[in-house]
Amino acid sequence: MRIACPFCGERENGEFTYLGDASPKRPNFAVDGGESPERVEDAFHDYVYLRDNLAGVMREYWYHGGGCRSWLVAERNTVTHEFVSVTAAPGAGAALAARAGE
Amino acid sequence: MSGYSQSEPLARTAREEANIRTAVTSASQSHRLPGDGMIDRRSPLRFSFDGKAMTGFAGDTLASALVANGVKLVARSFKYHRPRGIVTAGSEEPSALVEMRTGARREPNTRATTQELYDGLIANSQNRWPSLRHDLMSINQLFAPIFVAGFYYKTFMWPAKFWESIYEPMIRRAAGLGKSAELPDPDHYDKAWAHCDVLVVGGGPAGLSAALAAGRAGSRVILVEEDTLLGGRLLGDGGEIDGMDAREWLRSTTRELVSLPNVRIMTRTALFGVYDGGTYAALERVSDNVAMPDRHQVRQRLWRIVARRSVVTAGAIERPIVFPGNDRPGVMMASAVRTYVNRFAALPGKRVALFTNNDDGWRTAEIIQRAGAHIVAVIDPRREVPAQHRRLVDTYDLRVLAGVVSDVKGGVDGVRSIVVTNDRNGQTQRVETDCLAVSGGWNPNVGLSCFHRGKPIWREDIAAFVPGGAPKGMATAGAANGELSLGACLRDGHSAGAKAAAECGAAGKPGEASKADEEGYGIAPLWHVKGKGKAFVDFQHDVTASDVTLAQREGFESVEHLKRYTTLGMATDQGKTSNINGLAIMAEATGRTIPETGTTIYRPPYAPVAIGAIAGHHRDENFHAWRLTPSHHWAAKQGAVFVDTGLWKRAQWYPLAGEKDWLESVSREVLAVRNGVGFCDVSTLGKVDVRGADAGVFLDRVYINAFSSLAVGKARYGLMLREDGIVYDDGTTSRLAEDHYFLTTTTAKAGLVMQHLEFCRQVLFPDLDVQLTSATDQWAQFSIAGPNARKLLQDLVDPSEDLTNEGFPFMGAREVKLRGGVIARLFRISFSGEMAFEISVPARYGAAMAENLMIAGKPYGVTPYGTEALGVMRIEKGHVAGPELNGTTTADDLGLGKMMSKKKDFIGRVMAGREALIAPNRQVVVGVKPTDKARRLRSGAHVVPKGETPGPKTDQGYVTSVCFSPVLDQWIGLGLVERGRERIGEIVRIHDPLRSEDYEAEICSPVFYDPEGVRQRG
Amino acid sequence: MADFSWNTQSALEKALVPGRHGVAGTQAGVTLEEVRDISLVQVMARRGRAAETAKAAKKLFGIEPPRAPGAAVARNATLIWSGPDQFIVFSARQADGQFAKVSKAFAGIASLSDQSDGRCLIRIGGPRARQALAKFCSLDLDDKAFPLGAAATTSIDHTAMNIWREADGTDGHAVFNMLVFTSFADSLWHMILDSSLEYGVQASSAHAA
Repeated sequence: MRIACPFCGERENGEFTYLGDASPKRPNFAVDGGESPERVEDAFHDYVYLRDNLAGVMREYWYHGGGCRSWLVAERNTVTHEFVSVTAAPGAGAALAARAGE
Repeated sequence: MSGYSQSEPLARTAREEANIRTAVTSASQSHRLPGDGMIDRRSPLRFSFDGKAMTGFAGDTLASALVANGVKLVARSFKYHRPRGIVTAGSEEPSALVEMRTGARREPNTRATTQELYDGLIANSQNRWPSLRHDLMSINQLFAPIFVAGFYYKTFMWPAKFWESIYEPMIRRAAGLGKSAELPDPDHYDKAWAHCDVLVVGGGPAGLSAALAAGRAGSRVILVEEDTLLGGRLLGDGGEIDGMDAREWLRSTTRELVSLPNVRIMTRTALFGVYDGGTYAALERVSDNVAMPDRHQVRQRLWRIVARRSVVTAGAIERPIVFPGNDRPGVMMASAVRTYVNRFAALPGKRVALFTNNDDGWRTAEIIQRAGAHIVAVIDPRREVPAQHRRLVDTYDLRVLAGVVSDVKGGVDGVRSIVVTNDRNGQTQRVETDCLAVSGGWNPNVGLSCFHRGKPIWREDIAAFVPGGAPKGMATAGAANGELSLGACLRDGHSAGAKAAAECGAAGKPGEASKADEEGYGIAPLWHVKGKGKAFVDFQHDVTASDVTLAQREGFESVEHLKRYTTLGMATDQGKTSNINGLAIMAEATGRTIPETGTTIYRPPYAPVAIGAIAGHHRDENFHAWRLTPSHHWAAKQGAVFVDTGLWKRAQWYPLAGEKDWLESVSREVLAVRNGVGFCDVSTLGKVDVRGADAGVFLDRVYINAFSSLAVGKARYGLMLREDGIVYDDGTTSRLAEDHYFLTTTTAKAGLVMQHLEFCRQVLFPDLDVQLTSATDQWAQFSIAGPNARKLLQDLVDPSEDLTNEGFPFMGAREVKLRGGVIARLFRISFSGEMAFEISVPARYGAAMAENLMIAGKPYGVTPYGTEALGVMRIEKGHVAGPELNGTTTADDLGLGKMMSKKKDFIGRVMAGREALIAPNRQVVVGVKPTDKARRLRSGAHVVPKGETPGPKTDQGYVTSVCFSPVLDQWIGLGLVERGRERIGEIVRIHDPLRSEDYEAEICSPVFYDPEGVRQRG
Repeated sequence: MADFSWNTQSALEKALVPGRHGVAGTQAGVTLEEVRDISLVQVMARRGRAAETAKAAKKLFGIEPPRAPGAAVARNATLIWSGPDQFIVFSARQADGQFAKVSKAFAGIASLSDQSDGRCLIRIGGPRARQALAKFCSLDLDDKAFPLGAAATTSIDHTAMNIWREADGTDGHAVFNMLVFTSFADSLWHMILDSSLEYGVQASSAHAA
């Protein structure tokens, strides 16, 4: 498998680490911000545990740890292993980014 | 059966080598033709087969040399021990498997047809006893009924316990292939990468045309060919191309390819796998053509080839016809007969019968006649002689019999006669012959193009499957694509090569395709001639036509079931000559068409690959990379014993002369620290420079405790959770400047924590201004511990540095200047419970630091200590480490729940509050000490309430870490025990079923040593 | 009071045995050289400060740091791309103050980390260098794919490596600079040497110039 790092170009998959589904967003909450603890816990439960197991194109986190150490978001077809797109995580490099998920 | 044994390999080797030394020259080559073929008669080679000395020539394969020596019987079959000969002249060979070489280099199941001959080659037949000619195991044939399809499942079902003790050893002895070497492989292997625009797989006429077209156009081309020579079928068939002899064309084409700097030709290299994204795997047999690899040379090399486009021109494989006796030595593929004659100047038979159902098979007739041997009959089930071969019949007055071969008679030495049946009137006649050439048609090599679940397509006109659904970027051409004439192969290959080059952006001209006749290819499919006697489908696994029909009768109609029930196609040849025949017979038995019946899934590897080649460089001491600490060589000089900790090699302890065991050394080191001073290289801890305006806020989010409030010049112990609330890692982090923290991790998790931190930085909290750099290797870090630690350091640092409690209090962190000018970072932190410091210097000073610590500490009896003593002291002090941070424990389980900040969000905060993670009956860290002070405590032992019977219901935890505490003079440990903190002082039962131990112990505070922490605060 | 000498030790102290290794012959196919006494400063732009970082680099070194994988050679230093918005300043180690001097130029706009001891620099050259490299480096190092001035961050033996090309060797062959982690250097040197033995190796060490 070859993965096209947006910074380094196409590399063999041994340079990358797979994390999984890039869809769940870490819930954003303020401590003692008035939200019900149950709701916060439910949101975290979904974030930590709920994953779709797609047969088809899926957004995934990949880490180019064997290269430029950038976290990447890849759209990959889980049936054919074909990569549709590979982009940098919002905070890769010195990019000014809004908080993820917003 | 019980008398089965093999003579000692060494004794056999000596005898064989003696035979080889006394071998006469070519006198043994009774079947060598006068022509040259592609062999080099100036280079005679000696070899031995089953101890018999023979000769051949450079350019021979073992198979061609055996043919030249008139040897027909070369093997015994897998199940029935039937005599077998050479069937093919290529890598698809199912029968002629031999054991190559001797001793540590002995390799079984080597195809004689691909093994190049070399001087001194030693080969032996396999799976026979006592000898190939008189194999007593052939008695298996009498028990054939139990060896039918599915016999494993039917015969050896029960009692289950008989399987390992009786059935399996019995079957292994009776049925099987060769024996592998029992010594470590003395050869080296490596792996390499190659990159190109266009990869051409197969160097036959189509592949050469493709490579030439792509090469001329300017693409970077790699041409791989499994054979030693380029040419493919041209080597066996000859022919005329562009008005010249095929060999002349081959020479000039090769010359042109070699002259192109952008074309790389790799012979002896078999492509065996196709992977995602244009990655291919190939095996180069670098030194299999010599007795022993040259010094510094590998035996085989595994190539990973990255190609933007590939053109598979892997040719086609001639398929056998299934008829009774078709496995008799001397029954050979018609194309193989041509190859032996034309390429190797070796004559497989002097009176050859030809059995073909297609026009191509007829070509063998002419070649045999021209070679001075006789075609005794051509048997063709079709009624008419193909138009293109009528002249041949007239010229040589060939005897043409309409019908089929229905039986083969002969002995272990092979065919003596065949029975030909006229399939219309049932009349039979016998034909004397010593070689039966068979052609059932050609199967394009679709394997590589189907490795990504492509489904091959049936083509009625050639009665064969052609590629369908090839992976992205791959094209097929030539015979592999179903083009079975030379002219079409040249044209198809050229156009595929030109197209691939253009797709890669090559702008040059691909030139014109070479031209040759596009002779017709007529075929009348014939799969199976029914009759009495075993008719083999899979020669290597001894699967017969009746096994296939039996499988059908028993309901195993799907080809995937057929394969597994009969083991058809599951031998080392992966059914290259048998799969299509097997499914055709199944199709016939079920009344379905062949495409309806379908093929099994094709998977890599296409050809067998030695495990050594897959391991490459990574074996023995090179199994994985290693990491050395900055003081490694110094420690080695002190005689340290090293231990592998992940990839690191760490000093485990430093034995002194006269010490009787590790425990004595370790206890001495511990006491030396507790009573004086010692030091230990702790450079293996992960170190991360965390910088940026938001570095403190960032750390607040990844640690459970606060770091933005940490003062510059101070260190703090930190604990990280996973998002699910379980503890991830711990370590000390110091603030060296407003915007600079120096974070440490455990040795084991260093890489993973870095990855986690980068995830937090880049994905979770991209709004924070923070930058991370691994500094693990930049610093040599030493722990200096013991009541005299400060005195030692005071001598080492510049006199201006104040190391008193006031000038440098507990948990202080700052740069200090050392005598001699080196700048170090000093941290007043303690893992041992003693007054301790950690000092960092740039790694190049690591060895000097160890030396200087010895010098500075000499007055105080300084002692270097290793990881064992480090471990003892942390257990005595109740510090948790890997065995407690085991992926199931919470901060509170470790006794660190109070560290969890309530004022901020941090990774794991919310999930750590889940009911089960805060349940009162959780197993928490406590101390454990046997009531019998002489008793050795063992980690892994279970904790059970006193008086209870050990079992899942009464189990309350286990001992995680143990050590012998020289301070307490007894074995102590840490454990995870249910409600442990409420049970201090309770006597529990320690149950250790693995070691059959059972004893009592007291639950106690995990801090065995200096619970008030007076000593570390000094 | 005892005297303390602060001799430095290379990570290749034991692994590097100067001289010929492997196949003997007139010309070594591969030259391996450890470059000692190097200075390496990792420069990472702070959030949103990539342009200012580049400007500061230009001011200090006279050239802009590479924005994409590459190595830019300045008078006294080489700036090697090491990831998005970050680069390594490679130069010969001088007396003290090097890191401090660079730090000052980037104060507040980039985060710096001294990696002079964190990495070991191995140079591989000679007519067969690419063949040896192909055994452990998955990159396409063909002259067209990896010309002079090219750089990459990649892995060898599952370990991070920065590789770049500056000037070719005096023999006219390409020279590849490989920065590997110090603690892995001993292991990787053996692996690189083993990969090169069949071509004949000339091993040496040199001081950064």
